[in-house]
Amino acid sequence: MSGRTLQINERKVWILETGKGAPLLYFHGFADVHSVKESWMPFHEKLAQHAQVIAPAHPGCAQTDENKDIDIIEDVVFHYLEVFDALKLTQFDLVGSCVGGWIAAEIAARHPEKIRKLVLIGATGLFVEGALIGDVFMMAQPEYGSSYASLREMLFSSANQPNALEMFPDGKGELEDEVRRYQMLRFGSRIGFKPPYFYNRSLKNRLHRITSPALVVWGEKDAFVPRSHGETYAKLISGAEELKVISDAGHSVHVEKPDEIAKLVLDFLAE
Amino acid sequence: MKPVQLFCWHFMAYPYLDKDFDEKQYSGWVTVPNSLWDNRKARGLYQEYIDQLAYADELGFDGMVLNEHHQNIYGLMPSPNLIASALTQRTTRGKIVILGNLLPLHMNPMRVAEEYAMLDQMSNGRLIAGFAPGGGPETFNYDVPSANTREKFWEAADLIVRSWTEDGPFAHEGRYFPLRYVNLWPKPLQKPFPPVWIPGSRSPSTMAEVAKRGYCYFLSSRSHGGETHRAQQEFAAVLEKHGDQYHPFRFGILMSTYVAETDQQAREECEEGVWYFLKNCLKGHLRREGRQLTYGPGVPYIPTAAWREYLKGYTPGRKLLGDVENWEELDASQSIIVGSPETVHRRIQNLIEKAKVGNLLIQFQLGNMPDQLARKSMKLFAEKVAPALRHDSLKQFTDEFPGANVEQAAEALH
Repeated sequence: MSGRTLQINERKVWILETGKGAPLLYFHGFADVHSVKESWMPFHEKLAQHAQVIAPAHPGCAQTDENKDIDIIEDVVFHYLEVFDALKLTQFDLVGSCVGGWIAAEIAARHPEKIRKLVLIGATGLFVEGALIGDVFMMAQPEYGSSYASLREMLFSSANQPNALEMFPDGKGELEDEVRRYQMLRFGSRIGFKPPYFYNRSLKNRLHRITSPALVVWGEKDAFVPRSHGETYAKLISGAEELKVISDAGHSVHVEKPDEIAKLVLDFLAE
Repeated sequence: MKPVQLFCWHFMAYPYLDKDFDEKQYSGWVTVPNSLWDNRKARGLYQEYIDQLAYADELGFDGMVLNEHHQNIYGLMPSPNLIASALTQRTTRGKIVILGNLLPLHMNPMRVAEEYAMLDQMSNGRLIAGFAPGGGPETFNYDVPSANTREKFWEAADLIVRSWTEDGPFAHEGRYFPLRYVNLWPKPLQKPFPPVWIPGSRSPSTMAEVAKRGYCYFLSSRSHGGETHRAQQEFAAVLEKHGDQYHPFRFGILMSTYVAETDQQAREECEEGVWYFLKNCLKGHLRREGRQLTYGPGVPYIPTAAWREYLKGYTPGRKLLGDVENWEELDASQSIIVGSPETVHRRIQNLIEKAKVGNLLIQFQLGNMPDQLARKSMKLFAEKVAPALRHDSLKQFTDEFPGANVEQAAEALH
């Protein structure tokens, strides 16, 4: 693992970097590096065999300083414009999962020239009538004193999925893992609690501005972001292929099926 | 110096749940299906509860306490100000304590400033103005993002007090509630402004903010073991750090009691209401059964560093008040003090002695407790317990806090 701190306008931004090749920015979601894990997971390591993977922790996550002035997704977009400048990145591949996918889509709609290729995995961000994004905040409140089964069920294909149990155990997990999970919920609540939950009503009508090729991937059993959101992304981004659905995986498809999804992403990036 | 102030707190529970509620329903909060509401039974319920509060005023309690809850069976007061408004016209003597309006849930704090000012005028200066940030359930009630709740809360509270004390119109250039014209009509009657009470659960930052502003700190815990005494000591230390001095009326606690002729009779009469309260009303709030909404990572309102400290001492699955399994365990928690006048006096007196607390906010009606029992308990308390508590506490406070000026607000009243 190699991590470092960027200094941006008085605030520290924590990034992990690995691999060699063309730059690939990775934006994390709820079950991910920075939001639970201190370091890389197999999916990222596979990407790093063919790219220079750079993963910043969102504001307030891991060792990135919190920013109390973040109220809406727009504020996060501007935060990342500063990060790109600090990294001297002008064009790159952008891969986002979950809330990270939302941020990636918002950036791509505003600055299509920066994005070589875009990958969205179980991305939040859209308002799709009749298909609400799940309430991860309520699921994060313990049941029966110490159970997080319903949180695992929302983020994975089942509550007993081994990765799910490892990342979101019942009772008390590793202290720093717990703290990272809390930080991610705190960040998420700034941009995604109201409206409920995790969308920007305007994003749908802006997706046509994305000019790069795009890959949209969903877990077959995603119980957090309904599949119709993936279908909508795939339909409205002109450079997107048809939605790719990975069978026997839930929302955290990159955790549950790292080989399969890494191959899809790498093939797409290599095309 | 004055004796302990005894307030009657009514939560206004929904009392008509079936006996199998706990077995069949997952929660009493936020998601509890409102198909359970039964108009045939509930007609007249508010009248019954308002009458009980008016009765408290007749009995000589120092005030009546109301608070704000939404979407639950625990408290049917989404707007305590409406009940307070009724009380201004039904009562003449006691303070009307609203503890409090949940400021982050209100779109505009000026509405709270205005309604409180109206209530202060309508009650002839009897309002005690509580402001609360709300906790877990409230986060979900109105979809209030929790990360910035505290900042929003204090901005709103400060704006309200400023609007009561500073002549308008003025512009409020706030982070969360920017307003071009702040110009309150009416102004509150009490000068410089109605007493402000703020609830907290021993967080040092809340204590510091309360101390900084000279308000009264109210401990929102329902259990009164050693923690109450520790909270008092912590708050006293914080006050001293801010160049101020503790006296008993800077501090208040919530407790529940039931008084009957004998210990045995008291337990028999209140037990049904008590268990209804613990198992139904607390489900989703102070119970681990179902989903615990009050505190947890899904309502991340405390700063990360404080959360890390909290986690270090946290035991998953620990028992909460509503998880008590039997009467003895409940009794030991000192949350609900049940007994003859002698027993109740002794136990509460003991609490006052240790915690040096001047404001006791007491819940009499618990769960589905029938009207006549709640009234009987209130009457016995007023006649057989309150005089002794007042007598003893006056002596204690006079000895322990010589020279403390406890009447600031009243002296300044027009």
